[in-house]
Amino acid sequence: MKTKADLSIDFCGVRFENPFCLSSSPVSNSAEMCARAYDAGWGGIVFKTLGVETSFKVVMPSPRLNAYNLGDKRFAGLQNAEQISDRSVADNIADIAWLKKKHPDKVLISSIMGYTDPDWALLAKMSEDAGADLLELNFSCPQMAYKFSGYRVGQDFHAVEAYTEVVKKASKLPVIAKMTPNITDMVKVAMAAKAGGADAISAINTIRAISDINIDTFIPLPNIHGHSAATGFSGPMVKPVAMRFISDLYNAKELGLPISGIGGIETWVDALHFLLLGATNLQVTTGIMRYGYRIVEDMIEGLTDYMTDRNIISLSEIIGKASQKLVDPSEFNTRYQVVSVIDDTKCIGCGQCYISCHDGANQAIVFDSLERKASVDETRCVGCLLCKHVCPVWDCVTSKEVDTSVVKHAAIF
Amino acid sequence: MKLVDTRKIRQFQAMRDPMSLQASIKESNRCLLCHDAPCSQACPAGTDPAKFIRQIKFLNYKGAARTIRNNNILGTVCSFICPVEKLCEKACSIKALEDPIDIRGLQCFAAEYGNRFKLEPQEKSLKTKAKIAVIGCGPAGMSCAAELAKMDYDVTIFEREAKSGGVGRWNIPDFRLPGSAIDQDFQNLQNLGVEIKFNSAIDAGDSISVLLAEGFEAIFIGCGLSSPFTLKMFEGFTNTYDYNSFLRMVKVNRESLQLQDKSVVVIGGGSVAIDSAVSAKACGAAKVYLVFLESLEELPADQEEIELARTMGILFRPASQVSAVISDGNRITGLTGCEIEWLEPGKFVPSNATQVPGTEFSLKADVVIQAIGTSPGKEVSQLSKGMKTSGKGVIRVGETFETSIPGLFAGGDVVNGGATVVQAVGEGKKAAVAIDHYLTGRKAI
Ligand SMILES: Cc1cc2nc3c(=O)[nH]c(=O)nc-3n(C[C@H](O)[C@H](O)[C@H](O)COP(=O)(O)OP(=O)(O)OC[C@H]3O[C@@H](n4cnc5c(N)ncnc54)[C@H](O)[C@@H]3O)c2cc1C
Ligand SMILES: Cc1cc2nc3c(=O)[nH]c(=O)nc-3n(C[C@H](O)[C@H](O)[C@H](O)COP(=O)(O)O)c2cc1C
Ligand code: SF4
Repeated sequence: MKTKADLSIDFCGVRFENPFCLSSSPVSNSAEMCARAYDAGWGGIVFKTLGVETSFKVVMPSPRLNAYNLGDKRFAGLQNAEQISDRSVADNIADIAWLKKKHPDKVLISSIMGYTDPDWALLAKMSEDAGADLLELNFSCPQMAYKFSGYRVGQDFHAVEAYTEVVKKASKLPVIAKMTPNITDMVKVAMAAKAGGADAISAINTIRAISDINIDTFIPLPNIHGHSAATGFSGPMVKPVAMRFISDLYNAKELGLPISGIGGIETWVDALHFLLLGATNLQVTTGIMRYGYRIVEDMIEGLTDYMTDRNIISLSEIIGKASQKLVDPSEFNTRYQVVSVIDDTKCIGCGQCYISCHDGANQAIVFDSLERKASVDETRCVGCLLCKHVCPVWDCVTSKEVDTSVVKHAAIF
Repeated sequence: MKLVDTRKIRQFQAMRDPMSLQASIKESNRCLLCHDAPCSQACPAGTDPAKFIRQIKFLNYKGAARTIRNNNILGTVCSFICPVEKLCEKACSIKALEDPIDIRGLQCFAAEYGNRFKLEPQEKSLKTKAKIAVIGCGPAGMSCAAELAKMDYDVTIFEREAKSGGVGRWNIPDFRLPGSAIDQDFQNLQNLGVEIKFNSAIDAGDSISVLLAEGFEAIFIGCGLSSPFTLKMFEGFTNTYDYNSFLRMVKVNRESLQLQDKSVVVIGGGSVAIDSAVSAKACGAAKVYLVFLESLEELPADQEEIELARTMGILFRPASQVSAVISDGNRITGLTGCEIEWLEPGKFVPSNATQVPGTEFSLKADVVIQAIGTSPGKEVSQLSKGMKTSGKGVIRVGETFETSIPGLFAGGDVVNGGATVVQAVGEGKKAAVAIDHYLTGRKAI
């Protein structure tokens, strides 16, 4: 009998029953919504970012969303022009206090954004008093109407360090600094947060992007009364970029802080990818905006089955395992070369591999127009496996190693 | 209808392969994941297709297999033979835009996945609660027993035959429902700790009192229909079968039927008649006629089944009635018949048919199969004194599937007069809940 896997984690000294959290956004806008998310199974919630309305009154632009569709795959990405919470501090703090009372065993993280030192201190203190378990500092919203806030702060090492320090002084709660991906080297910003006393790093917030343009009016979308802006992009399309940042953070030995991974997570496999790259805690927004809180059921069940089937009892056994396999490209073993292998019995004769190899690789596919079958000319194949990736039959194209000491391989000569 | 492999039908192998992983991912991604999903509402057994499709879409395949098994103890069987186009797929929202989701295909994929990757068994009944007897190990009985076992009742099934599954085991042809599917579901039932007594018919008069005396505190009857109707004109002939004995021989000993190059006439226009006709053809019959009163449009069989019969080359004789037998001693050699018209529209019963002069025909008949309906066995109404049955012998029950005798429940074909596996599963489940209420309510007093 296999032991059932345990999904609980320790993050900054706080126990989460599972690593799955709502990230700060409309999905965590109110206590009523958050309570439903807890009931659905989410282990923690990062509440929608609090601001101080007396310093800056938030008004949301309208409309504020545009979905990026890839052919028939709708919602491959989401662009938003949303600001931080437009509710009053008092209302938000009351919600946090109510939630903690109703769900003492679930984790509540208060996301805050100040515009001045006193703002940061005030929001930190009020969140702590209301019962929040952790603080997340929003250094990363890419479209705040208040000029020096959000990602502009997140691009400024000194501001990141200084604001983190203010918060650490104002409250005893562990602090997560939320990073913007709109920067070349995230590790440097994370190091600044660490210098200011941050206990953990979360990444990524949204990527500045333009998702669509109306070709008649020339107005990019979302069309906000005749104008638009490059604003935050999220969802499945940002996942590969997010994963890169997670591995950068994890592999930066000098940093050594726990990571909360965010960006395009929808399934337990996405979640597992982030864990394998070094995230301990996970956050989701766009997946929930698209499908609802219910997706956590499949994350929990799927990840539990994965672990149970492999006798993995605790998530700590796998965190970071994939980041450890990443090396500098200069360290690749190029004596190892492969060629493509097409399974004749599975080939359906569409010729997509032929077109791609012919125009995008090394003209190594031979297409028999009479039989309608593709085959590989091994003397020309460079082993890039473009053919494998375009083949509509998932298991038709494989590869095999060539002995480069014997065979003249097209990639080397 | 999706293409079927007629070669496989002739070999009595499952005519469709389970949906592949690749196709299942694609198909599940077409699903709109509706709010308050109409497909799930349309399933009589509460299998919850909306949930298992979502689970497949989010790569939670084992979860999908669990949902199917936990909600419907005949989940594997249903994935082969549910009339989805009348149930879940009929309700599918995307039909307003494109083809409905292939829910049966996805169910087949998930059930097979759970089987292949050894889903952990459900917890055994602790048997801390009352002893309950279930009569019949068909879909209704299996489903009722499974639900009761999950509630920790001590359940014993009494089955007349040597195997589980009911009609699916003995009648539904292997190319539509392989025995392995029934075995899989039966294994899941056994894992729940239900005791099964095979070769144990409960058919003596007043058997229910005997069971009560043996300490069973509630009883569920799920014994289906075992008295097929036959026509008077065929009495005494040796080369005619009712559908039940014919399909049973097809299942257990089809060589002995010796249908090679024969001319077979099947009488009836329902699913059972089509199964009989296609089976006869698959056994090698040269010609198989299907003679029925309805027109093709009025045929009660599903479109998919009609298509299957067409593909197999069955010769349809719609709006036709057999009038007399041509015989040689005690063997039928041919039939004569005539086309009919309905006297009153929409009333599809023989008494409403009138023969059209000048449309007389005759058919060569080496074998005649009668598939014109069925009813509960004669013993059913004798099981308990005072248990109410209808004219045709089906047991009368209330909303909770309790018969006129307190503590005695019934469901499935023996109650609904013949429907589907999924309907029988649903009724078995509902009866189990009612039995629990009956027993706990009684104890509370
Ligand atoms: C040819 C044919 C094709 C069909 N095709 C389909 C289809 O494609 N899809 C679909 O959903 N449905 C189909 N059905 C209908 C479906 O098989 C039935 O609705 C379903 O099996 C009913 O389940 P049940 O448990 O009520 O009865 P049964 O399946 O009849 O099970 C009753 C069980 O009780 C046992 N039993 C009977 N009397 C006694 C007794 N006295 N003591 C102990 N045990 C007893 C029997 O041996 C049997 O095992 C088909 C039916 C037929 C005949
Ligand atoms: C509509 C919308 C509003 C958001 N608002 C906030 C916010 O107030 N504070 C914040 O830290 N992040 C905010 N985010 C960013 C998300 O928390 C998250 O970092 C990002 O969307 C990437 O994750 P995802 O791909 O799972 O959505 C917002 C995202 C969206 C789509
Ligand atoms: S999603 Fe809801 S709030 Fe947003 S525009 Fe539509 S109806 Fe309005």
